[in-house]
Amino acid sequence: MEISPLTILLVLAFGGTALTFVAGRSARFVALGTAIATLVVTLGLLAMFSLSELLSYQFLQVNTWFTFMGAPGSPGLSIDYAVGIDGISLPFLLLSAVITVATVIYHWGEEKNPAGFFGLLLLTNAGLLGVFVSLDILLFFVFWEVVLIPMFFLIGHWGGPRRQYAALKFFVYTHVASVVMLVSLLAMVFLGHWPSFDFTDMTAVQGYNASIPEVAQVFLFGGLLFGFGVKLPMVPFHTWLPDAHVEAPTGGSVFLAALLLKMGGYGLIRLAFPLLSLGREALTPLVFFFAFLSIVWGAYLSLSQRDLKRLVAYSSINHMGVVLLAIGLWTQLGVMAAVLLMFAHGLVSGLLFMISGSVHHSFGTRDIPSVGGMTSRTPILSTMLMVGSLASLGLPALVSFPAEFSAFLATWESLRYLVFLPLMALVVTAAFYIWMMQRLSFGPPHGIPADAKDLPLPEMMGMVILVALIVLYGILPFLLVHIITVSPIFGACYPGGGGVCPGLP
Amino acid sequence: MTAPVPPLAYLPEILTLVAALGVFLLDTLGVRRRAAFGAWTTVFLAAAFVSVLADLGVPGLGGLATLPSSYLTAGAVGPVVFTALGLVFQAIFLSAGILVAFASLSDPDDEVGIPMFYGLLGLATLGTLLVALSADLVFLLLSVEVTGISTYVLVGYTRRDPRALEASMKFYIIGALSTATSFFGASLLYGAYHTTSLATIAQGLPPDASLALVGFGILAVGLGFKVTAVPFHMWAVDVYDGAPSTVSAFLAAGSKKMGIFAYFVVFVAVTRLFAGPQGWPLYIALGGLAVTTMTVGNILALQQKTLKRMLAYSSISQAGYMLLGIAVDTPSTLSGATLLVAAHVLMKGGAFLVVAALAQIGLGARIDDLRGLGYSHPILAGSFSVLLLSLAGIPGTFGFMGKFYIFAGAIEAGGLFILLAVVGLLNSALSVFYYARILKIVYMSDEAPAPSQESGAALHRSLTHSSQGVASPPPRGIPGLGRIAAEIRAAGAARWIAIVAAAVLTVALGIYPTPLVHAFNAAATQFWSLGY
Repeated sequence: MEISPLTILLVLAFGGTALTFVAGRSARFVALGTAIATLVVTLGLLAMFSLSELLSYQFLQVNTWFTFMGAPGSPGLSIDYAVGIDGISLPFLLLSAVITVATVIYHWGEEKNPAGFFGLLLLTNAGLLGVFVSLDILLFFVFWEVVLIPMFFLIGHWGGPRRQYAALKFFVYTHVASVVMLVSLLAMVFLGHWPSFDFTDMTAVQGYNASIPEVAQVFLFGGLLFGFGVKLPMVPFHTWLPDAHVEAPTGGSVFLAALLLKMGGYGLIRLAFPLLSLGREALTPLVFFFAFLSIVWGAYLSLSQRDLKRLVAYSSINHMGVVLLAIGLWTQLGVMAAVLLMFAHGLVSGLLFMISGSVHHSFGTRDIPSVGGMTSRTPILSTMLMVGSLASLGLPALVSFPAEFSAFLATWESLRYLVFLPLMALVVTAAFYIWMMQRLSFGPPHGIPADAKDLPLPEMMGMVILVALIVLYGILPFLLVHIITVSPIFGACYPGGGGVCPGLP
Repeated sequence: MTAPVPPLAYLPEILTLVAALGVFLLDTLGVRRRAAFGAWTTVFLAAAFVSVLADLGVPGLGGLATLPSSYLTAGAVGPVVFTALGLVFQAIFLSAGILVAFASLSDPDDEVGIPMFYGLLGLATLGTLLVALSADLVFLLLSVEVTGISTYVLVGYTRRDPRALEASMKFYIIGALSTATSFFGASLLYGAYHTTSLATIAQGLPPDASLALVGFGILAVGLGFKVTAVPFHMWAVDVYDGAPSTVSAFLAAGSKKMGIFAYFVVFVAVTRLFAGPQGWPLYIALGGLAVTTMTVGNILALQQKTLKRMLAYSSISQAGYMLLGIAVDTPSTLSGATLLVAAHVLMKGGAFLVVAALAQIGLGARIDDLRGLGYSHPILAGSFSVLLLSLAGIPGTFGFMGKFYIFAGAIEAGGLFILLAVVGLLNSALSVFYYARILKIVYMSDEAPAPSQESGAALHRSLTHSSQGVASPPPRGIPGLGRIAAEIRAAGAARWIAIVAAAVLTVALGIYPTPLVHAFNAAATQFWSLGY
C-alpha cells in the first residue's frame, strides 16, 4: 500500500495532539514540536509539489474506508480514505501550519490548563489539515466537524466574560450549516449516481453531475452556498462571528479568523462551484449580491466599533466579502485572487488578533478611544499594529496588495464598473484602519498604565513570524501564484485539459 | 422444509436461561454477595455473546459455532427463524445485558433484592433474544411479553424508593395496554391472513387488504409503546426517571431496542407490499411516527432540568431516527438503523451509567449540579462528553455513523424521503443544543475559577494577579495516578470501567466501523429480501 506524505502529515498532526493532551506540564514543548514538525512536512510538500502536473491531484492516496450499500442490487458506493492536494489546497496547508506555530509561540506563557489549551489548538489544526487534503465527501465532512469541537471548548473554557453564550452559539449555528451542507453533498452524490464518495477525478465527477437536472442543481448549490457561507461568513449569516471572535481567547480568535473562515471559501472553490455548473450559473447573481452585501455591511459595521477586537472581526466580514466576490466571478484569475486573498487575510487577521490580544494584556482594555500614544510607551507593539493595519488596508509590498489587486482586476474583467462598489468599501476600510492607528498609536499617551510593558518575547516572536511572511509574499507573490494556478479545477485552461475552464470559452 | 433445528442451536438462549435460573438457585443456596450474582450473570451472558458471534461466523470463533450455517438462509422453521440480522440483534441485546450486569457490580452491596435484579435481568435478556428469532406473530408478542413482565418488576426491585414503585406501576399498566393493543392488532391480522406465520404474511397481501392494513396499524400502536414512539411515549420518561439508573440503562439500551427489532420483523416486508396507492396510510403513519417521535423528543429534551429526564427524552428522539430507517425501508436504512441501535447501546447505556456514577459521587440530579465535573473527575467527564457527542451525531463517533447511514439511505431513496432526511438532520442539529449545553456546564461553568482576563498570559505578566492564589483547575493532561484511583473509587470500579469502555468503543467504531458496517450490510440485505 502506497502511503502518501499527506497521510504522514495527518498522523503527525493527530498523534502530536494526543501527546499534547497527556503531556501535562511540558505540553507547550510537545505542542511546539508537533507544530514545527507539521510545518516541516508542509514545506517538504511545497518543495516536492510539481508545477507541471496540471490535471490531477498530487500525493494521492485512495483506500476504501467502508462501503455504503446503495439501492438493492447496486454494487454499493465505496466511501474512501482519499487524500491529495493541488495548488489550491497547498497554500491553506501552509497557512494552517504557519499560524499554528505562531500561535503556539504567542501563547507560550499560557497558564490556564496549558495541556488542554495547546491540545485543542493542535486538534483544530489537525482537523483543518484534514479538510484541506480530503478528496472524499464523507471524509471531508468528518474533518469539517472535527474542527468544530475543539473550537467550542477553546471559546467556552478560555474565553472572555460571555464565553459560554458565544461558544454555544458558535457550535449550534455552524453545526446547522454543516448539516445543510451534508444534505446537499449527499444529494449530489446520489442524484449524480456517483460510483463512490470520492472526487479525486474532477472530469469524471463533473460528468456524473451533468446528469443532475437544473432545478435540483440550484437547490444543491443553494444548500452548499448556505453551508459554506455561514463559515465564510457571508452577510446575513454572519451573526455568530462577532460573538465568537470577541469572546474567544487570542489563539482561538487567530484560528477562527485565519483558518476557520477559510474553510468556507475553500469548500466553495473545491465543491460547490466546479461540481455544480448549472446551479452556479443560475445563482451567480445571488452570490454577487451576498458578496457586495458582505463588503458594504462589513465595512459599515467596522466603522462604528470602539473595541479593537470587534473592529478586526467585522473587517474580516468585509474582506471575506471580497473573497466571495472573486470566487463568484469563477475565472481563473478570480479563483487565484480568492485563494491569495484568503492566504493574505489569514496572515494579516492572525497578526491583528494577536495585537488586540496583546493590547488587552498590556493596557487592560481594548477600547480604542481610551488608549492613545502607544508609540512612545510601547513602541514594538505600536509598530506591529502599524504593520498589521497597513497590510490589512492593502499597502503595496505587503501580502494583501497583490491579492486585492488581482481580485479587483478580475472583477473589472467580468463586471466592469461594478468594481467601484467594493473599491469604495476599500476606501472605507482604509479610513477606519488609519483612524484606529492614529488614535491608538499617536498623540499624547493616555490610558496606558504606568507599569505597562512592551511586548513580551513570545508574543513578539509569534507576530514576527507572521510579519515576515506578510512581507515575503507581498514582495514575491509569484511564489504562491505559480502554485495556486496548478489545479484540476482549471483543467480545460491547460492544453489537453478536458474539464470546464472557469472563465474561458 | 428444513429438518428440525438441533437443540444446541439455541445455545445462546440456553446460556441466558442458565444465567437467570442460576441466580435464583444461588439465592436459595444462601449466597448473599452481589459479586457472586453479578459475576455469574456477566460470565453466562458473555458466553452467550461469544456463542452468537460464533454462529454469525466471526473469524476465529468458527469452531464454537453450534448453529449449522445452512439455517441462516433456510427461512422459517416453525415459529422461529435464524437470520443474520436476528443474530446481530441478539449480539446487541446481549452486549446491553453484559454492560449492565457488569456495571451493576458497583451498586451497593446491602441493597434488597439483588438476586431478583440479576435473575430478572437474565430473563429480560432472554425475551429480547427470542424476539430476534421470531417468525410468528404470537411467538413474537409472547417473547416481547417475557421481557415486558421482567422489566416491570425490575424497575421497582428495590421496593424502597416510592418513585421507583410508582414507575413500576405505571410501566406495568401501560405495558398491559400495549400488550392488549398488540394482540388485538394480531388477531385482526389472523382474521385477514388465517395464519400468524410471518413467512406467509411477508409473501403478499390477503384478499381483505384493508382489514390487514387496520391490523398492522393497531399492531404499530401496540409496539409503538415499546419503542417509545410519540404519542405513545408518555410512560417512558417517568419510568426511566424513577427506575434505578442501572435499570434505566438496560431499558434504554436493551428492551427498547427489542421493540425496534419487532418493528423490523413486522413491517419490513409489509411496507414494501403496501407500496402503491393503497399503502399510503401506512407510509404516512410510519414516516409521521418517525418525524413526530424525533421532533417531540428533541423539543421536550431541550426543556429538561434533570439529567435523567433529558436522557430519557433524547432516547425517545433517537427512537425516531431508528423508525425513520424502517419507514424508508431499504437495505441501507435497515443497516443504518441497526448501526444506530448498536451505537445506542454504548452511548445511552453508558450515559445512564454515568448518572448512576454521579449519584454515587454525591452530585445532584439536576444538570446544573454537574458544574466543574470536568475538573473534579476528568476521565469520567471526558467519557461522558464523548458519549454525548456521539448522541449528538458528531462525526468521529459511532453515533454519527448510524445517523449518516440512515439519512444517506433516505436521501438515496429519493422523492419525499429526502424531506424526511432533511427533517431528521435538522432535528439532529437541534439536539446538539442540549448536549452541548451539558458540555458547557461540565467544562465552562463559572464555578471553575476563571480569570476575567483574556488568557492566562495576563496572569503570567502581573504578579499581583498570580499571587492572589486563584485555585487554578488541575491540568487536564494525565492527572496523577492517585487522582485516577480516587475517581475510580468514587464512581465505582466496575461502573467506571464500563463507562470508559463504552466511550472508547464509541470513538473506535466511529473511526473504523468497517467490519461492523459490512457485516450489518450483508445481514440487512438478506433480512430485507426475506422480509421477516
